[in-house]
Amino acid sequence: MEEKEITVNIKKYNENDGAFWKSYKVKADRYTQMTEVLRRIKTEQDPSLSYRASCHMAVCGSCAMKINGVPSLACKTMAFKATDEKNEINLESMDYYKEVRDLIPDIDTFYDRMYKALPGLAADEEVIAGKAEQRMLPEEQKEVWQFQGCIYCGLCVSACPSVKEDEKFLGPAAHAKGYRYIADDRDTKKEERINTLMDSAWRCTSCYMCYEVCPQDVQPVIAIKKTKSYLNDYRGPETDVIAMARKHDNAILELINDTGKIKESSLYLKTFGLGEAIKDSVNMLRSGKIKYAFTKDNDVKNINEIKKIMGDKK
Amino acid sequence: MEKKEYDAVILGGGLAGLMAANITASAGFSVAVVSKVFPTRSHSSAAEGGIAAYIKDNSDPNDDPDFMSYDEVKGGDYLVDQDAAELLSAKSGEIVHILDSWGAPFNRQPDGRIALRYFGGQTYPRTRFVADKTGMALLHTLFEHATGLKNIDFYNEYYVLDIVKEGKDVNGLVAMEMKTMDPIYLKSRALLIASGGLGMIYKHTTNSYINTGDGYGIALRSGVALKDPEFVQFHPTGLYPSDILISEAARAEGAILKNNKGERFMARYAPHKFDLAPRDIVSRSMTIEIREGRGFEGGYLGLDLTHLGREYIMDRLSLAYDAAKTFSGVDATEEMIPVRPAQHYFMGGIDVDITGTNHDLNGIFAAGEAACVSVHGANRLGSNSLLETLVYGRETGNAMVNFLKSHKSMESNSNVDSIINTAYSYIKRETGEHFGTLLNELRDIMWDNVGVFRDQKKLEEAVRKISDLRKRSLNMYVTDKSNNYNTEAFNAFETRNMLDVAFAISSAALNRKETRGAHYRDDYPNRDDDNWMKHTITYLGDNEIKITYKPVNYTRWKPEPRVY
Repeated sequence: MEEKEITVNIKKYNENDGAFWKSYKVKADRYTQMTEVLRRIKTEQDPSLSYRASCHMAVCGSCAMKINGVPSLACKTMAFKATDEKNEINLESMDYYKEVRDLIPDIDTFYDRMYKALPGLAADEEVIAGKAEQRMLPEEQKEVWQFQGCIYCGLCVSACPSVKEDEKFLGPAAHAKGYRYIADDRDTKKEERINTLMDSAWRCTSCYMCYEVCPQDVQPVIAIKKTKSYLNDYRGPETDVIAMARKHDNAILELINDTGKIKESSLYLKTFGLGEAIKDSVNMLRSGKIKYAFTKDNDVKNINEIKKIMGDKK
Repeated sequence: MEKKEYDAVILGGGLAGLMAANITASAGFSVAVVSKVFPTRSHSSAAEGGIAAYIKDNSDPNDDPDFMSYDEVKGGDYLVDQDAAELLSAKSGEIVHILDSWGAPFNRQPDGRIALRYFGGQTYPRTRFVADKTGMALLHTLFEHATGLKNIDFYNEYYVLDIVKEGKDVNGLVAMEMKTMDPIYLKSRALLIASGGLGMIYKHTTNSYINTGDGYGIALRSGVALKDPEFVQFHPTGLYPSDILISEAARAEGAILKNNKGERFMARYAPHKFDLAPRDIVSRSMTIEIREGRGFEGGYLGLDLTHLGREYIMDRLSLAYDAAKTFSGVDATEEMIPVRPAQHYFMGGIDVDITGTNHDLNGIFAAGEAACVSVHGANRLGSNSLLETLVYGRETGNAMVNFLKSHKSMESNSNVDSIINTAYSYIKRETGEHFGTLLNELRDIMWDNVGVFRDQKKLEEAVRKISDLRKRSLNMYVTDKSNNYNTEAFNAFETRNMLDVAFAISSAALNRKETRGAHYRDDYPNRDDDNWMKHTITYLGDNEIKITYKPVNYTRWKPEPRVY
């Protein structure tokens, strides 16, 4: 098989020397995974190079790192495809997590977030005692499995802007985990789960970074949106975020009922109030984006049809 | 040095270790689970196809647990302890129920019951599955359940060095925190080795990078025997060229192996079971095809899924599809997947009885791939490894509970210092050999000489070379002197373990002069029940492997020719 030499630049780190870049030349072919490139560097050139890797088939989530600046799994990245026009690849430890050594960050904060999402099924006592069998429809299994597919790699949290800004936001992966149990009808503590996750869910800005970087296509942002839809079942403390969420939900209902559309500027005003809106218009003015606040947005023509549908929904 | 005391210490956070941890902790005992990786990174997550189970009222109407046990006995070429196989079958339904009650999202039938499919060597379909990521789904389920229990402490990213013992009594183990390189003595009355397999000793393996046979090496050095180490499974469908596993589920769902003439060659080797004959038979047939020039250039064969249709492939075999696409650039809905045999599983392991108890030391147990309960004999059937980890993880957990009820803690830590000093000696040494040189040589020798086809000459050479590598490894040194996450040091410790277990495997393979299951001798091509219907027991001596034997346990099935 045809081989070519590639240059791998790795941002190394240790407690004594801090961070520094080191380059390696490695022979690879079109089937060579980046985990294999790392193994070759380690066994043949630089035994001190430190990284995590286990299954090399994208199910264990060990080898999460930044490859050419993009949060990726090394095993799922083919060396040839990752090289640029200069035939080089850059590897760095993931963002957000504390560096420990080379490509190994300390991701304990990621695990802590997962535990907060109450993982683990609380089955019915009859089932636990072996007296009853749980059934589950194939469609329901599909929905659960979609969000159970998370492999704890930590990429989504490292890429999430909200996690960095808002310490009360549990982050994408934990919400995928949390929603996976809400969606599971075999579970008996749905209410506790909704109460635990709701405030955090509304802290997501729906930027879709988690959707982009997830190597398993778990789509955590979708889990968050689905969790938000249980707002009316929420019985926890009425936090500021929950109050905003309720206003937001009501505003959407009202807007659709009155105009047939979600008008973004009105929705914003109704959700956050005049004070916030004035502050933000100053920011928009500064950044030259104020024109978007006044975009013309007509009502739907057959509004009576919409009112009928909305009436049925109520 | 830090010291902590638990009732039980479990080495390994995969399915077997976590199952035993659940049982032991639920009985009120304190448990430490020690793993060199975060538990969900364990190799259990890589199991794809499923878990075999006979579930009453949810199996083929003609099936029963006896058929299942018979399949295991025949699949293992009569080296299976039949009481162990019967226990495995009898408890299979219960285990699936437990995992389901803990939240495992098994694929379902339209009426909501757990779905099932055929796997290699099964008389009736029994495999339960979660798409083709069953291991990952079960491991996460079990881990999430275990983290809810109060008396389990997890020591994640701690590397275990060796067993602490006083005479014949186990007294815990010494581990090293990988982040700080600080040693810790975890004192315990019971010790479970559930550290998984050893694929990394072979150049071509479907196993994770972490499968370095640590538990086997640690056991051998403490005077604990390995049983039947000559039996190494080669999986027929390793993806070419990366050796990533393409699950047997593919063939179970109808995929066909083809040679470069487009022939379904398995019809010649297994006229009844075709592509779903047991793995040893399919791997040998494939190797013959390739050897005789009917493979494709580069040395592989084709796995044809195209007739199954895109929708079916995406729904039931998405991982196989993704793997072929990502790692070999092949669209399995349109082209054949390039495959060749690769090391996959170790049937041998720490010698334990049907309760997971080893009798070389008091207080030592083993479960999962680390153990040899002899349910797989000379060849394991697909879907039985997940089942074994859980059924025998539970049995072993119960055995530990019984042991703990009658054994008191003792004060002694005689060999703690020497364990630590030996480990540090690799780091302190300034010259010598790198682990990488030794390891690459070992992986070549094992693949070339102790692979699918073996003979006297190849095996003698392997034993000689490995013995030599072990001597050279005494001079192994670590260039990295840092004390934060020094992975080079851990690679050196792993290499020591790999050399020890490879020594046992090659010596036992040289010793067994017959062909049985996955152990195929070109110079002794037939099964020899008169002389070799017995388990090999290996102990590590001073640069030699000492071999004794144990009888195979029969209950009802007499050996017969193994035709598929």
